[in-house]
Amino acid sequence: MIEVKYFGAVAEKTKCEFEKLSFSEELSLQKLLEDLNEKYEFESLTFSVAINQKIVSKTSDYTLQTSDIVALLPPFAGG
Amino acid sequence: METSNRYNRQIILPEIGKNGQQKLAESKVLIIGAGGLGSAILPYLASAGVGEIGIADHDVIEISNLQRQVIYKTSAIGKSKAKEAKTMISELNPLVKVKSISEKLSGKNALSLFEKYDIIVDATDTISIKYLINDACLITNKPMVYGSIFRFQGQVSVFNYQSGPTYRCLYPNENSNALNCEDAGVIGVSVGIIGMLQANEVLKMILGIGEVLSGKILVYNILNNEQQKYDFDKSDFQSISRETFEEKYNKTEIEEVNFESVLDEINKDAVLFLDVRNIDESPKISLQNQIQIPLMHLEKQIEKLDKNQPIYIFCQSGIRSKIAVELLQKYQFKNAKSIAGGALAMKQLLQEKKNSHEFTN
Repeated sequence: MIEVKYFGAVAEKTKCEFEKLSFSEELSLQKLLEDLNEKYEFESLTFSVAINQKIVSKTSDYTLQTSDIVALLPPFAGG
Repeated sequence: METSNRYNRQIILPEIGKNGQQKLAESKVLIIGAGGLGSAILPYLASAGVGEIGIADHDVIEISNLQRQVIYKTSAIGKSKAKEAKTMISELNPLVKVKSISEKLSGKNALSLFEKYDIIVDATDTISIKYLINDACLITNKPMVYGSIFRFQGQVSVFNYQSGPTYRCLYPNENSNALNCEDAGVIGVSVGIIGMLQANEVLKMILGIGEVLSGKILVYNILNNEQQKYDFDKSDFQSISRETFEEKYNKTEIEEVNFESVLDEINKDAVLFLDVRNIDESPKISLQNQIQIPLMHLEKQIEKLDKNQPIYIFCQSGIRSKIAVELLQKYQFKNAKSIAGGALAMKQLLQEKKNSHEFTN
């Protein structure tokens, strides 16, 4: 089980601020992002991705571990 | 003494003291944007005794600003934000030297402006300006105190602090679009809280106390009071040279005109219409003062043209003519403009004009 947190415009798309996801076989970060993109259609939304409070490259070949917390952080523009 | 009385409550803090107060008095901070974030940052930096504050904003105060831009009075609607903010600060603390900059921040003025300050605060509401501030901070080697809002959430970070990670290290994709307050909606306290956190980072940097939010982004949610810090690293790919900066932000604008607006000049000897299409292209356009030099031969035949004469350049649809203007500008032609829509738009307009002429006669 992992937790995914959503912020800003990304959370508007997902209609929730976090969710817990379980996975049976090995799940890479890239695959997770692909799945989420398919589910929520982020389309042109840009965001950075953090694993356990650390921003990582979206293309890293990281394999998700149980109890990892993934966060999708889009840039904000208001001021 | 006025100074020590004024600042007594912070001077007695062991972390500040007289020494810290002196550091504040010697510091120069530029705040870009005197909107919601700026309204929170400005009074706190001014009352704390920051020696010099620059306020850059080219907007005027609108009634819809007042619910969150709390430094402005209702009676100031329609006035310049930068100037009003300056007046407010001068009354708040006359010891602060304030400069208002009503010019829009651009690639042309950013570098020379940033050079005059120690810390640059990003209180803007546009992503592209944030990249400009980031890049100008990199070149002038200044820290950038970033703050931004999305509805009830805010982000704060300090970029390029002691050559630390930058905005581009966090968000490398420049072509992102994100809603600003006007489009997304915002409440005054969100910008207030985030602006205050930015002011706090500025003061910590000046005083050399605490931990600066460098290489970390703080994300704050005012609805549930959750806040998280995320670490990020410096990326070597995100540096920028002065040359790249100039190229990116200071491209000379290619001036485009509508054919309609120059219609009354088509029979004037003073102007030249330059067709840069190939000889075999149609529709044919024949105006009184017109010559044809296909784009591929333009550079070789450039001496045929007069650098000071107004030249209207056209091609088939208005794309090659822009390249031609760029080329002429390289040769110091000052009055070359591209006709939008090219020969196709011109032909149509000439036809319409002819028809209406026949009709009226």
